[in-house]
Amino acid sequence: MMNIIGKRPWFFLISGALIIISVISLVVFWFTPSIDFTGGTLLTLKFEQPVEYSTFMDKLDQLGYGEASVQMTGQTVFDIRTKEPIENQQAVVDELTASFGQLADTPQVFTLAPTQGANTTRNAVIAIAIAMIGMLIYVTYAFRKMPSPFRWGSCFVIALLHDILVTLGLFSLLGHFLGWEMDLMFITGILAIVGVSLDNTIVVFDRMRENQKNGVSTDFEVVVNRSQIETLGRSLNTSITILITCIALLLFVGGSIQNFVIALMIGLIAGTFDSVFVAPGLLVVWDKGKWGSFFGQKKTAAVKVPTENQ
Amino acid sequence: MARRNTLILLLVIAVFALTLWVCFPLRSSAEITYQGSFSANTTTEQKSAILDQAIVTMHDRIEAQGIKNYGIEKQDGYRIFVSLSDYTDVDRAKQVIGQITNFTAVEASVQGEKLGRNLQLGIDLAGGVKLVYQVTFTDNTTDPQAVMERTILTISKRIDRFGVTEPVIQQLGSDLILIQLPGFTDIESAKNLVEQAGYLEFREVEKNNSGALVYLRDYLNSTTNSFIDTNESMPRLFYYQSTTDKNGGKLVAILSFNGTDLVYSDVNGNPVDKNTLTSYGDTPSWIIARGDNGTPLTGSLLSDAQPNINSTTNKPEVNIQWNDEGTIIFDQLAVRLHNPAGASGTYDLKYALGIFLDNNLISAPQMVAEKYEGKGTISGSFDLAGAEELANLLKSGSLPTPLNNPIQEGITSASLGAEFINMSWKAGLIGLALVMIFMIAYYRLPGVMASIALIFYATLTLAVCKLWPITLSLGSIGGIVVSMGIAVDANVLIFERMKEEFRAGRTLGAAIEAGFHRAWSAIWDSNMTTFIACIILYWLGSTAMQNAAVMGFAVTLFIGAIVSMFTAVLVTRTLLRSLNGTGLATKIWLFTGTGGKKQ
Repeated sequence: MMNIIGKRPWFFLISGALIIISVISLVVFWFTPSIDFTGGTLLTLKFEQPVEYSTFMDKLDQLGYGEASVQMTGQTVFDIRTKEPIENQQAVVDELTASFGQLADTPQVFTLAPTQGANTTRNAVIAIAIAMIGMLIYVTYAFRKMPSPFRWGSCFVIALLHDILVTLGLFSLLGHFLGWEMDLMFITGILAIVGVSLDNTIVVFDRMRENQKNGVSTDFEVVVNRSQIETLGRSLNTSITILITCIALLLFVGGSIQNFVIALMIGLIAGTFDSVFVAPGLLVVWDKGKWGSFFGQKKTAAVKVPTENQ
Repeated sequence: MARRNTLILLLVIAVFALTLWVCFPLRSSAEITYQGSFSANTTTEQKSAILDQAIVTMHDRIEAQGIKNYGIEKQDGYRIFVSLSDYTDVDRAKQVIGQITNFTAVEASVQGEKLGRNLQLGIDLAGGVKLVYQVTFTDNTTDPQAVMERTILTISKRIDRFGVTEPVIQQLGSDLILIQLPGFTDIESAKNLVEQAGYLEFREVEKNNSGALVYLRDYLNSTTNSFIDTNESMPRLFYYQSTTDKNGGKLVAILSFNGTDLVYSDVNGNPVDKNTLTSYGDTPSWIIARGDNGTPLTGSLLSDAQPNINSTTNKPEVNIQWNDEGTIIFDQLAVRLHNPAGASGTYDLKYALGIFLDNNLISAPQMVAEKYEGKGTISGSFDLAGAEELANLLKSGSLPTPLNNPIQEGITSASLGAEFINMSWKAGLIGLALVMIFMIAYYRLPGVMASIALIFYATLTLAVCKLWPITLSLGSIGGIVVSMGIAVDANVLIFERMKEEFRAGRTLGAAIEAGFHRAWSAIWDSNMTTFIACIILYWLGSTAMQNAAVMGFAVTLFIGAIVSMFTAVLVTRTLLRSLNGTGLATKIWLFTGTGGKKQ
């Protein structure tokens, strides 16, 4: 029988490294906020004819919007983002169509007052924090018959925090190198992780609860290891099916929901990893009260797991 | 047991058939809209007669061709809808109706021809205008929620009359109002429609003690710090009307008393230096027209307002109807202000009643009779469209608080949204197919059952979204993706358990029962946490986050999770139980890759 729990120092190491990378990336790069957070104007124009990026930028510079960030999709669609609202949109559009020909579609405009953007960040943090407290309460309640249910709830929330932190960190890294902006769809993706990642942890914890109840072993570590092995197939299969849908969405839709899908995929992979390997390990460490020394104790766990049915 | 299972199976099949019917109606209905166009001097009565004549003609022509199950009705006084219960009749119906004087067929909308066609789509998918306003309350607002509700009601009424389909006017948080107008392409006209204060009031010219009219120069020359008519303490409006250009006019100043001094301000409340006003000296001082008991005559006392074309002057006007209180006050004013020479008398400001909309003088007609019995007419320099707009504004009432500079405004294009939906359908179908292949490859026959349950899940979720109806947005698509994962997850949990039971040497029937029984607590707990997350997300989306995408995500995830508990557990179990006892059940390789080996 595989010994998963015995390798927990390695899993803690991987998680720790991911968290450190994420924190460093967050501290150093933070995010490139979209206008959802800074306020400003997003003007989307679709031209009938292909337009050269550099000539488009020159024209925009002439019009006094040289500082706007411009994203090009295909050869005809331009997303123009400015931090200050564009006062006279129609005049700008007229100037641009005079130079680059007719638009294939009516322009899309989105404007947000700067004050409103600042609230968005704060409210998103509040939303995630309240959702987590809700989870903590429910899991503590669901595992109320176990010894020290609060530990289960806490490990559950730690796993969730881990997923969110890693997602934020990796996205910040990707954002820095690929120029992705954090927008509301990304925040929605983070909230989706709260919904999906907890399912994985619940399933593993549920099996641990059941095995504990059935008296699989007096050693909690053995109980945990057995539960991890039993739920491994299910956790992988479920994650694969969600990943399949995510990849289909990413390939065929992309665009406006790209950030949602990316956040969900990173969170899903991190979530599967930590719910199977990290969160149960944490419970074991907590149970054994060996917080300080577990990194040096590779031998103990491996020896303790009995080889059954042979 | 077996009989009960057969009953449930039949029930499941019936529900499945029902959802399929909702998603793909066998016969789709259709509607053709005919838009009427009339010359500017057609009266409402004449329009109505033209409409009725057109409907009769249409009936005759359709009847003659034997098209069954149709309906014709008029709407909004200028449109005719022809509805057909079978959409294949559309082209034939259009052909047989042919040309109708004054009418053009503008669109033929087909309902339910294609899956998802009549799903309700949010602004980010359907295209349209989105506005978010922050309401500012004055210091003496005692009940902000009541102000919010009245503001929303007023905006709703205005937008209703504008004929926007499925508009959203919704309160976000404590002081924000979200307005979504699907299909709208003109953001400025949308803003005008919403922001117009719509405050209608009636004023008369101030008179001094000896009964002479008061003008701006009287105040400019005055050395005292009080109003000339000391009975009226509310602000005076000075509205300048050029003598050469009757249409040219503007509000030059508002004179109000701040407790110690008389102060001049402009329309936005900014102070005005009185020395700049000397050239407007002969502008009359308009004070609020009050009934005998002191109640001011305002738009809130109206019971109706209708646009009309005056049959003698051929000019657009708005006919108003006062409510009981307004009728009394209006007649009291008529007695006080009426021109003794009647309609033939010369125009004199002494007998004028000024009609002001948002501090702008629309017209100042003479009171030529002493009794109007609640009826009145507003004429001015507006065209028929202007008269319709004014009547709409007067009927929906005034905004309780000014609205301007939306904190969020956006316009999305319908074609980009449509492209997005098409791509999402494609991605959804491919994702579904891949997941089904994966499930069948890994779990064999139970995987087939799970795939059937998954198709059922997809159609049932769509059916719920259609029937509720749920407005789908970008966020909702995310919710559907995640809940599809949850639906698969429940089956994966159950099948993994079944495999374990097989390995432990149980029979197929026992493995099925034990698999479902033992997976249940995990399914229940994970769905409960999902529900908690959804409820918190929805609540925060509608309050602190103020974000429709988050709300859309929460709603569809919630629905999807409930539906998945039904399909993944009940449907799959019923299907598997039905298999048990058939020949297939003896072929253990259909159920597990490890062939039921014991460890």
